[in-house]
Amino acid sequence: MTQLKEDGPRGRVIVITSGKGGVGKTTSAAAISAAIAKRGHKVVVIDFDVGLRNLDMIMGCERRVVFDFINVVQGDARLSQALIKDKRVDTLSILPTSQTRDKDALTSEGVEKVLDELRKDFDYIICDSPAGIERGAQMAMYYADEAVVVTNPEVSSVRDSDRVLGLLASKTQRAEKGLEPVKSQVLLTRHDQGRIDRGEMMAVEDVLELLAVPLLGIVPESTAVLRASNVGMPVVLDAPSSAASAYEDAVARLLGEDVPMRIGSDKRPGLLGRFFGRSA
Amino acid sequence: MQTPSSDPRSDTDPVTVRPFHFRGLFLTAVALRLETSEMDETFYERLDAALAQAPQILDDAPIVLDFALVPDMNVPGKIRDLIDRLFERGLLVFGAQNATDVQLSTVRGYGIIPIKVGRETALPSAKTKAKPAKKTPEAPPKSNMIVTAPVRSGQMVVAEHGDLTIVGSVASGAEIVAAGNIHVYGTLRGRAIAGAHGDESARIFCQSQQAELLAIAGLYKTSETIEPELRKRSVQVFLEGDNLCVEAFQ
Repeated sequence: MTQLKEDGPRGRVIVITSGKGGVGKTTSAAAISAAIAKRGHKVVVIDFDVGLRNLDMIMGCERRVVFDFINVVQGDARLSQALIKDKRVDTLSILPTSQTRDKDALTSEGVEKVLDELRKDFDYIICDSPAGIERGAQMAMYYADEAVVVTNPEVSSVRDSDRVLGLLASKTQRAEKGLEPVKSQVLLTRHDQGRIDRGEMMAVEDVLELLAVPLLGIVPESTAVLRASNVGMPVVLDAPSSAASAYEDAVARLLGEDVPMRIGSDKRPGLLGRFFGRSA
Repeated sequence: MQTPSSDPRSDTDPVTVRPFHFRGLFLTAVALRLETSEMDETFYERLDAALAQAPQILDDAPIVLDFALVPDMNVPGKIRDLIDRLFERGLLVFGAQNATDVQLSTVRGYGIIPIKVGRETALPSAKTKAKPAKKTPEAPPKSNMIVTAPVRSGQMVVAEHGDLTIVGSVASGAEIVAAGNIHVYGTLRGRAIAGAHGDESARIFCQSQQAELLAIAGLYKTSETIEPELRKRSVQVFLEGDNLCVEAFQ
C-alpha cells in the first residue's frame, strides 16, 4: 500500500502544540503522522508528554512498549530498541515516552541527540507536545522546523495558542540562532458550525484574525475521532469520516500542496452522538 | 522575536570576578496624590472602590505618596495612620514626594524615602553611565523602535528611549511600553503604556481600540473605564491636565 519516496525534505521536525490541554494535540499528532506515512514518507512520532503518555494508546501500541524515549535520552537503551514500528503503515514508527518519570527527565542535549539520530532515518519527525508552556512543551518545540498549533474555536484556546506562537518565535533554536523562523500554522479542531451559528464558538475568520498565522486545516467535531481513539487507531486509518478527510487535506497542505479549504461535517449527528462527540 | 529587554552584552570583559555591580534600574511606581488632608471614612471608602476597580494594577504595586496638594497635613499621627491603612490594603508605600520637612520626618520612621519628582530621577543615572561606559562601548541607544510582527499574549515590548510603532496587532495579555508615543497599526487588545518615564505629552494611537489598559505618564484607564462606544474605533489617547482622554478619529 505504500511506496517509498525519495524526494522531500529529510528529517524535518514538526511540533504539534497548543498550550491548552484537551484540544486534540495527540489525536492530531497521530492522524498527521499516519497520513504523512500513508503517502510513503518515513515518519516517526515522538511523545513528549512524559508522565502522562497517551500517544501509544491512540496509536494502538501500548502493549508493545518496552523501552521508551526517556531510556534513550538517558542512554539506558538504544534508539532502535525503543522505536515501535506501526503494524498498519510500514513507514510509520512511534517513540513512546515514560509513564513513570516526569518532564525533568528530558534534557536539551539528550533530546537533540535523539533528534539528530532520527533525522538520518526519517523524513518527518513529529513531536507531540504536552499541554502547557513549561519544560516538556519547551523541549518539544525547541528544535522544531515547523509548528502546528492546534486550536479550538473558543477564546481561552485561542489566547493560549497566541502565547505559544509567541514562544515559537522566541524560545526555539531557530529563534535563538537567528535562523529562518519556525514555520507556524494553526489547525482548527472540534469545529462545529452549529455552535458557531448559535454564537457559542468563535468563527474561523475571528480566530485567524487574532492569531495572524496561516490556516492548515479545519477538523470538524466528529464522533469518528473518539471511536478511533478508543480502538487505538489514528483517525485517518479508520473508516472514512469527515475528520479523516480534514486531516488528509491538512497533511497535503503541510507537504506543500495547494488544497482548497473546505469545512466538512458528519451528516446530522443524533442527539446522543452530539453529546458524546462534545464530551470527547 | 523582539525581546528588547535582553540586550546581548559582550563576554569579552576581562574583569571576570567582581563582588557586586551597580546597575541602573527603571521602576514603574504608582503615585498616590492626596487631594485632601481629611482622612475620614469617605476617603477610605473611595480608595477601596478605586482598588476594587483595578486590583491587578494596584496589587503589589510600589506606591509613592504625593503630598503636593496637602502641605498643611502635618499631624504625625494622622500620616502614620494613613500609611498603616495603606499597608493593610496591600499597597506597598516606599516613598514620599513633595513632602514638607514635618511630613518627611514622620514618614522616615517607616523607612519611607524622599523621592524627587519623577523626571528628575533620570538625571543621576545618565551621569553615572559615563564612567563604566569606557570599557564596553555600547552602541548609542536607538531612540525609536518598530516591530513588524504581531505582539503575542505574554510578550512585552519596551521602547526604553523613544517611540514604539507596532505594525500588526497586540494580543490580549501582551504589554507594550514606550518612553514616548505608541502607534499600533492593527488592533490593540493588550496593555499600552506610553510616556513610561513621565512624559505627559506622549500619546497612544491605534487603528482599533480594544485595549485592556491605556496609560500615559502613570495615568491610566482600564477596559472597564474606557467608554464602550470607543471600542473597535481608531483612537488617540492623550493627557489633558490630569485627565486621560480617549478620542475617536472621525
